[in-house]
Amino acid sequence: MAYITVFKAKNIITMDPNRPEATHVAVRDGKILAVGGADCAAQWGEYVTDDSLAQSVLMPGFVEGHAHMMAGAMWQYAYAGFHDRTDPDGKLWTGMTTIDAVVTRLAEFAATLADGEPLVAWGFDPIFLPTERLNRRHLDQIAADRPVVVMFSSFHVMCVNSAALDMAGYDEDTEVEGVLTDGNGTPTGELQEMAAMFPVMHRVGFDFKKLSQEETSIWSYGKVANRVGVTTITDLFATIEGDALDTLLRVTADDKFPIRIVPTIGAMGATADQIAAQAKELALQSTDKLRLGGVKLMTDGSIQGWTARVKWPGYVGGQPNGIWNTAPDQIYELCEVMQREGIKMNIHTNGDEASEVVIDAIEAAMRKHPWTGARHVLQHAQMMGVDQFERAAELGICVNLFANHIWYFGDQHAALTIGEDRASRMDGCRSAADAGVHFTIHSDAPVTPLGPLFTAWCAVNRTTMSGRTLGEAQRLTLMEGLHAITLGAAYTMGLDSEIGSITAGKQADFAVLDEDPTAVDPAALKDVTVLGTVLGGRVHLL
Amino acid sequence: MNDKRLPLTVIGGYLGAGKTTLINKLLTDPQGQRLMVLVNDFGAINIDAALLESADEDTLTLTNGCVCCTMGADLFMAIADVLDRNPRPDHLIIEASGVADPSKIAAAAKAEKDMQYGGIITVVDAENFPKLLDDPMIGAQIKTQTTCADLLLVSKTDSIPAALQAQLSTLSGAEQLLADQVQTVADLLITPWDRPVSAPFARPHPDYVHWSATAGPQFSRDGLRALLATRPPGLFRLKGFVCGDDGRGFLVQGVGSSVSLSRIDQPAQTSLVGIGLKGRVTKADCDQWWSTP
Repeated sequence: MAYITVFKAKNIITMDPNRPEATHVAVRDGKILAVGGADCAAQWGEYVTDDSLAQSVLMPGFVEGHAHMMAGAMWQYAYAGFHDRTDPDGKLWTGMTTIDAVVTRLAEFAATLADGEPLVAWGFDPIFLPTERLNRRHLDQIAADRPVVVMFSSFHVMCVNSAALDMAGYDEDTEVEGVLTDGNGTPTGELQEMAAMFPVMHRVGFDFKKLSQEETSIWSYGKVANRVGVTTITDLFATIEGDALDTLLRVTADDKFPIRIVPTIGAMGATADQIAAQAKELALQSTDKLRLGGVKLMTDGSIQGWTARVKWPGYVGGQPNGIWNTAPDQIYELCEVMQREGIKMNIHTNGDEASEVVIDAIEAAMRKHPWTGARHVLQHAQMMGVDQFERAAELGICVNLFANHIWYFGDQHAALTIGEDRASRMDGCRSAADAGVHFTIHSDAPVTPLGPLFTAWCAVNRTTMSGRTLGEAQRLTLMEGLHAITLGAAYTMGLDSEIGSITAGKQADFAVLDEDPTAVDPAALKDVTVLGTVLGGRVHLL
Repeated sequence: MNDKRLPLTVIGGYLGAGKTTLINKLLTDPQGQRLMVLVNDFGAINIDAALLESADEDTLTLTNGCVCCTMGADLFMAIADVLDRNPRPDHLIIEASGVADPSKIAAAAKAEKDMQYGGIITVVDAENFPKLLDDPMIGAQIKTQTTCADLLLVSKTDSIPAALQAQLSTLSGAEQLLADQVQTVADLLITPWDRPVSAPFARPHPDYVHWSATAGPQFSRDGLRALLATRPPGLFRLKGFVCGDDGRGFLVQGVGSSVSLSRIDQPAQTSLVGIGLKGRVTKADCDQWWSTP
């Protein structure tokens, strides 16, 4: 008979109303056997008590419903962002608030590379450095003998040095859209949009998608998640081709691998039937730590890129409405096929016109192919109003709101994109909760850093970078915020029978914290220190 | 002219317009070219079994040297894979998705020094186009697909309705052809056309106008640009070397409304060739244009 371990903790926040708090949790076979006091496992037989977490507070392992494997893979490259960020090994990379700081940091990084090896950096965002535009002269200070490529956080723009321009064949004779030039026709180093970036990316071998499928990247993803208390995480829009599945199966099966991954394949580049067939085939390969079978649909673009499809009155700057990456007709077809085949969908919708089309499409599919409990999830769903939340609740559609946007882009949204009124109610957690929608909140890592306590802090406080509170009425209570990153997220992923609360019968997945997040000032929620996690009863401390 | 750059032609148009039909025809009769075609899905690709050498999950290999691949979720990575192929195909054709802006894909051929722009074909469904153009959801994207075209192929009709012809003309100066004029499409965009006039184009219909020039002044960049901007609209393709006034020359390449200039060593003499559809342009038009002071 398997033996029983009883973990003693300073406090356990279970997120289960039957026993909201406890001091001990008993684990057998990787699952929660009992929750309560020191003797909670007594009726189950002999047990040993593990005191290694006795000074910690336990919560259910955090669940991230919208992130990408790239969040780990990126760290093979240099970080060039404005905000502080921690790498998979726990090293804090302080934010670079001037171009000089970027140059200095990247020069240090260049010194660690082999001769001639390209220097690639990521995370640079000119929105936060409005004084001077990054150009080739800055990057030439870093290196003249190797290509230097700084990818902007939008992924639509990059800046490169002279060596990289030479590789691509861009010079004063170049007349190519997106290759920016100065008054004399000389390229500045800034390359806009994929077509102009492509010749450089191709030559420096810059391929995040391929990188994301590598074994080291999967391990990095595990580490990034482990640092912030995450035990279950999606990889939305995964590419699982060739031997990628075998790699995923092998890595996740390792006892030392600290997370469960829920990859959903991108519904693009094939017919709806082919995508459905691939998803169903993958579903058969699922394990405890690798949950396959879902799909991700794209619809519109992004709000800050003015490519989201928004309803009247549109964008405050008068920009034209955004673009569909999947035609509404195709959205209808995909929804119908996935619903018919019993495949759970995650659907990217930023603008409120996109969320409306998707709700309509799911409703139409449901009429044809009834399937209660599908729990399709609208991802981002940033501009949904009460009317759309009510419909989502009626139809059993879940939403995953982009709470981190409030902090990072809230000021921009109020001033430059959708204006004050709609920015105040965007990522409307309160409206979703009040309408009875099952919802969670997310980081979209690496777009913003992974960190569910930070994400909950955003939803609870709605503070922006400028320090204002954007839409006080949409704030969640602290407990609601914690619910959203645990049981709420688990529900949207259809995994609430297994994870999301510290309840007998569920997986023994815990976030290990140094203080009780329910006892701190809500404004300090993001500052609660994560010490590690427990996954299936195995302790993974940092 | 020995040009090793891989030509890229993009086929755009909304869902169901007839992009796949065109691709099927080009694959079946590739005019001796080893075409590489990237498509969104194989669903409607219909290749005669006798022509099929092998087929797997995402690649069809044809006995005539053509290859058809699904592009997967990342178009640009698929283009990178094509460039890495050895040997490279003679011509790359990409089927844009039903909502894609074909010019954003074709722009890669203008930026990438190992590729050359080979035009945008937009397929327009005669029955649905006017309605789609007015659709508040999708109209703006349909319009973009039309305005960027070098060649408009009108499908699902035996003759282009006058109203549609007029509507398309207001959106784009591109040549309008019927979708079954695949031979013309191939002649204008796929087969190498800048060869001595003796060999190809012996077909009775449709007819082409061939034009060439071997003289002209030495140009500044701006001067050449200005002159090219006024070229006869029916001069569908234009290619050649032009002497520059700064000791270096220009490689000129025009397709439809697009024209590109790149710098090369000064050629011994200016040498330009062009092709257009008979009835749309005459040699005299071209000569007159080129001799404009």
